[in-house]
Amino acid sequence: MITKRQLGIFVTALGVLAIVGIVAVDLIGAGEWGGFGPLQRIGVGLGLLAILVGWVLIRLGDRPA
Amino acid sequence: MISSRVLKFLYIALIALTTLVYLGYLLVYVVYAAALFRWPFDYDQGEGFELYDAILYSRGEWPYRDNAAFPFYASNYPPLFHLLIVPLLPLFGAQVAAGRVVSFVATLITAMAIAFAVRREIGGRFIPLLGGLSFLASNYVYQIGPLCRMHMTMVMFETLAIVFIARFDHPENGRRHLLLGLLMLLCAGYTKQMAVFTVVAALSYVFLRDVRRALAAGTALAVVAGIIFWGLNIATDGQWWINVIQANVNEFDYRQTLFLFGQWFRLHTIFVLLAVGYLGYELFWGRLSAYSLWFLFSLGAGALSGKWGAGFGYFTTAVAASSLTAALAMGRLLSGARGAAAKSVVTLLIPLLYLIQAPRMLHLPTSGPVFGPLARVLGVADRLVQGDCVTFQYHDAMGYTQLGHLLSAEDYAAGERILEYVRMAEGPVFSEEAMFTLLAGKPVVTNPTQLLNLYKNGLLDTSEMIARINRQEFGMVLFRAQFYPPPVLEAIGQNYQPVDHVCMNGFYYRILWPRHKLGGKAPLEAAYGDE
Repeated sequence: MITKRQLGIFVTALGVLAIVGIVAVDLIGAGEWGGFGPLQRIGVGLGLLAILVGWVLIRLGDRPA
Repeated sequence: MISSRVLKFLYIALIALTTLVYLGYLLVYVVYAAALFRWPFDYDQGEGFELYDAILYSRGEWPYRDNAAFPFYASNYPPLFHLLIVPLLPLFGAQVAAGRVVSFVATLITAMAIAFAVRREIGGRFIPLLGGLSFLASNYVYQIGPLCRMHMTMVMFETLAIVFIARFDHPENGRRHLLLGLLMLLCAGYTKQMAVFTVVAALSYVFLRDVRRALAAGTALAVVAGIIFWGLNIATDGQWWINVIQANVNEFDYRQTLFLFGQWFRLHTIFVLLAVGYLGYELFWGRLSAYSLWFLFSLGAGALSGKWGAGFGYFTTAVAASSLTAALAMGRLLSGARGAAAKSVVTLLIPLLYLIQAPRMLHLPTSGPVFGPLARVLGVADRLVQGDCVTFQYHDAMGYTQLGHLLSAEDYAAGERILEYVRMAEGPVFSEEAMFTLLAGKPVVTNPTQLLNLYKNGLLDTSEMIARINRQEFGMVLFRAQFYPPPVLEAIGQNYQPVDHVCMNGFYYRILWPRHKLGGKAPLEAAYGDE
């Protein structure tokens, strides 16, 4: 059985990976910071939301997810 | 203080009104479906090709073929929907109604599955009934439900899968539920590839509750699906992989996705808000159910709607999931209400919420002895959908849509006119729609969007096709949207000349004749020969 804390860690990690990946794609692809397009803003927004949700879930501890 | 008798009267009145409204939507849906069952031609692009795939299966032939060789045809979808049509072919003949009936029945089964799941979770009759009817009331489900397309059959299998998987940990028959759920997931995936989101949702739910069983179930599903996949690819000499996987990698426009998300939310606002609220409640206060996870992952399918060739149909899984979870949310509100006053408020609120939602999805014909006056009463008689060449006697809260309207006598006459051209043409017909050639007893030549997809992915050799066009071997070319590779269109332009254009079902169909047969004559005179 997965707990809310474990789910929260997973969701937070997904959010962080998403943000890092979006920024890295821009840096690696262009070789320099090219600024954020709308799609990337959406992706970062969803990543931040995932981190927020994950943080709340982590604080909920060992309750079953 | 309102007396209990008044409250009871209000409650009964609201229940009756709400049920009447949603049964009204069901009636509109049945009328539309019946109209489509009678219509012998393609209504939506690609319907005839789905029927043709079923015909090929009935002959023991694969529809996954080399598109570079005549008749330049292949299917880009998995086989299950087409196989479901095969037993109906002896009854219907080679008629597109066979596939439309399968899809329509699939939507009814989906609605019943939603109602069943809701009743199983919260009991009662009103909310489960409205849960099922609200699915059928959706503009999206209405428009594509009775089409000979596989999407709603996929949604049916997805819904059944979730209903089974939600009980995988039942103490007595959990194993049976899990196996049936996995079977439904397999069926969904082999109906349309997009079911992968529901597969992930279902296995995620099992994983949250029982990691070992999830890994075992996921492995078993992957192995069985993989064996079928491998077998299909071997049996078709690799054409399965090319046509079903590689050809479906299309251009993506995120603006289309954003537009469709906004439209979906605007049309289904109350259901979406309730579904999101229910997901949040389960995530933070309760335990995540299979239903909420399904809703969450169905948004992933919606995110793919920006793909070229995709559209609002990609949200039908989300419509099913939100209809179900919105009903569960209402049940949760009711069971969570403490005290007589709160219970009274919630009891009245539930039908009110369904009533508030109802007009947001408004869609109906606007002419005829029943719908004409109704449309005038609702104030939409003059808010009609405009086609390319005709104004449809139809209103839809979506705004512009190519689907949903009924066919007219003029449409039938136009279809017969086009069919006459096809019958008259000497040799095979290069047609953008399959039903005309099927009804004329001619071979189905080309699946245009598949050719275009393959061409854009660098997977199509057009040399034989263009050579035959240059030799003017096709007795006629029939265009609607001209979704062909540019070199093919160019070759057609050089060798075929427009002789007529016919407005049918709101679209212009362009008839082109081989130039060598026109020989200086007026197009219609040449087209009709010596008649």
